[in-house]
Amino acid sequence: MVMFMLEIDSLSIQLGEFSFTDLNLKVNDGEYCIILGPTGAGKTILLETIAGIHSPKNGRILLNGKDITHTPPEQRGIGMVYQDYMLFPHMTVAENIGFGLKERGVSKKEWHAAVREIAKTFGISHLLERYPKTLSGGEQQRTAIARSLLLRPSVLLLDEPLSALDTITRERLRDELKVIHKETGMTILHITHHFEDIYALANRVVVMRNGTIVQEGTPDMIMHHPVSDFIANFTGMENLFTGDAVMTPSGIVEIHIGTAIIRTVTELTGRVHAGIRPEDMIISTEPFTSSAQNSFVGIVTDIIDSGVYSKIVVEAGIILTAVLTRQSIQRLGITFGSTVWLTFKATSVHVFSE
Amino acid sequence: MIKRRLPTFFQAVCIGISLIVVLVLIAVFLGLILFSSPETLVVCLFSEEIWYAIRLSVITAVISTLLCLIIAVPVAYSMVRFEFFGKQWVNVLLNLPLSLPPLVAGVALLIFLSPATSPVGQFLSSMGIYVVYTSAAIVIAQVFVNAPYMVRIARSTFSMISPRYEHVARTLGCSEVGAFRKITLPMAKNGLIGGLVITWSKAMGEFGAVLMLAGAISMKTETLPIALFLNMSTGDLDMAIAAALILLIISGTALILFEYFGKEHGDVYA
Repeated sequence: MVMFMLEIDSLSIQLGEFSFTDLNLKVNDGEYCIILGPTGAGKTILLETIAGIHSPKNGRILLNGKDITHTPPEQRGIGMVYQDYMLFPHMTVAENIGFGLKERGVSKKEWHAAVREIAKTFGISHLLERYPKTLSGGEQQRTAIARSLLLRPSVLLLDEPLSALDTITRERLRDELKVIHKETGMTILHITHHFEDIYALANRVVVMRNGTIVQEGTPDMIMHHPVSDFIANFTGMENLFTGDAVMTPSGIVEIHIGTAIIRTVTELTGRVHAGIRPEDMIISTEPFTSSAQNSFVGIVTDIIDSGVYSKIVVEAGIILTAVLTRQSIQRLGITFGSTVWLTFKATSVHVFSE
Repeated sequence: MIKRRLPTFFQAVCIGISLIVVLVLIAVFLGLILFSSPETLVVCLFSEEIWYAIRLSVITAVISTLLCLIIAVPVAYSMVRFEFFGKQWVNVLLNLPLSLPPLVAGVALLIFLSPATSPVGQFLSSMGIYVVYTSAAIVIAQVFVNAPYMVRIARSTFSMISPRYEHVARTLGCSEVGAFRKITLPMAKNGLIGGLVITWSKAMGEFGAVLMLAGAISMKTETLPIALFLNMSTGDLDMAIAAALILLIISGTALILFEYFGKEHGDVYA
């Protein structure tokens, strides 16, 4: 029998208006599992139930094969970090970080050494005597993560830990989380809205909606083979179309979207959704010859700048979105009204039924 | 140069009414303060009767305020954090004394505790405990009337503290009680202190319920408001005004303190 680090077995919970029933999830030791889903999907409640804050109505939670369903949170050895840090405002940074260790009753000397060491790792040594409200968002979240890591939890639960931060701090802290995971080998469950987190961090992705898990798998599976248009939409699959799929004698399927035709490989026919990730498009300023089955020519109608990357929107009979670096936009001389060719492979088209 | 616009008619009317209200308030309080000559006032303030009333009021109000705190913290906390059957009805019942005239509360308490009218009173007197018309009655009346206020303030204080602080504390090894004691209570400190100040000031001034349950017995159950009432009825205006002035000063100070603590706790832990 394979033993999982964390096993959630037909869990049901009822909390006021919210409920989920018969939820199953298995997380391997050392896995970085990202939980994705819209607001109200029950992600936070799931994490809080794993932490022991809410008692389930039915089902079991196993940690290392041990039933912890009715174990109080303080005896589970599971760490929790929230989006809005939840640093204790009446304690200094040092007292916050060392809170758990103090609860365990370690000696003062040991306590100081441990707090100083972890503060150094997180680059917050100079903040130890300050109070949380004087800290920046990134500093606060570093403190919160350090606080939960000091106890070396067997599982770390992160509830949108990067969402309240500005872009640069978010990227930096994301890298730090990656390093932490690599160095500690800790099992991590991480709720997020950003699909960049998936690419950067996850070994596995769980998509939740209305209190159920709608898909789980490797990041590649989720990002490239979403089982529904909801998931495609949610994971940033921007080019989403609805059309009629017709099998051609050559074995290629043609999806007719108005007058446009997208070629793909699929077994589905009839009314379907098709999605192409913006990053799977090749952009060129002249016709692009390749083995790729799909090429569209159109006019650039919008350029959306988001940091290093920019999205360009092209009117080509259908509206297509592609993503490229700001540098390539300059190199190719793309501006509003430019004529561009967008090319993508038949296998880059993800088809799912309605 | 910035040209100041004249207020519109509507603005002028609203501001005008506010000014009139302020002027009336000042006039009324000044009238009270200036009624007696300073010499008479000093004599009254140092009279045995007023000293007795001050002492009795302060002691009973301190005791009743502490009792209110002991009641309010668990009640308010459970109303904010826990779900239980009949919570809405508990809420209504808890708020009832807020809109009930204290006189009615006093009569109800009198009937409930008097040996002549209730089994509870009979039981207490069989144990040798007589509550009605004693200083204990003053405390009971103050608690009965003021506890709901303290519950309300404690409740709004607790509801401003996210339960997630406790959740994090629990995952860091705190028990349920520990998380409450080490995290929520210190975070609620200023709000609770503000509540204590207001509750104490209200207890100092409580009249209706005290009158009913403790009676107006000179030099026995004579709190400051009772002293005011007794001296007014016997026509001793200077003594009555001395008592009134002390109550005025207490209310003003309490209000300032409450505002101070209220502001302190409001912005930090939302």
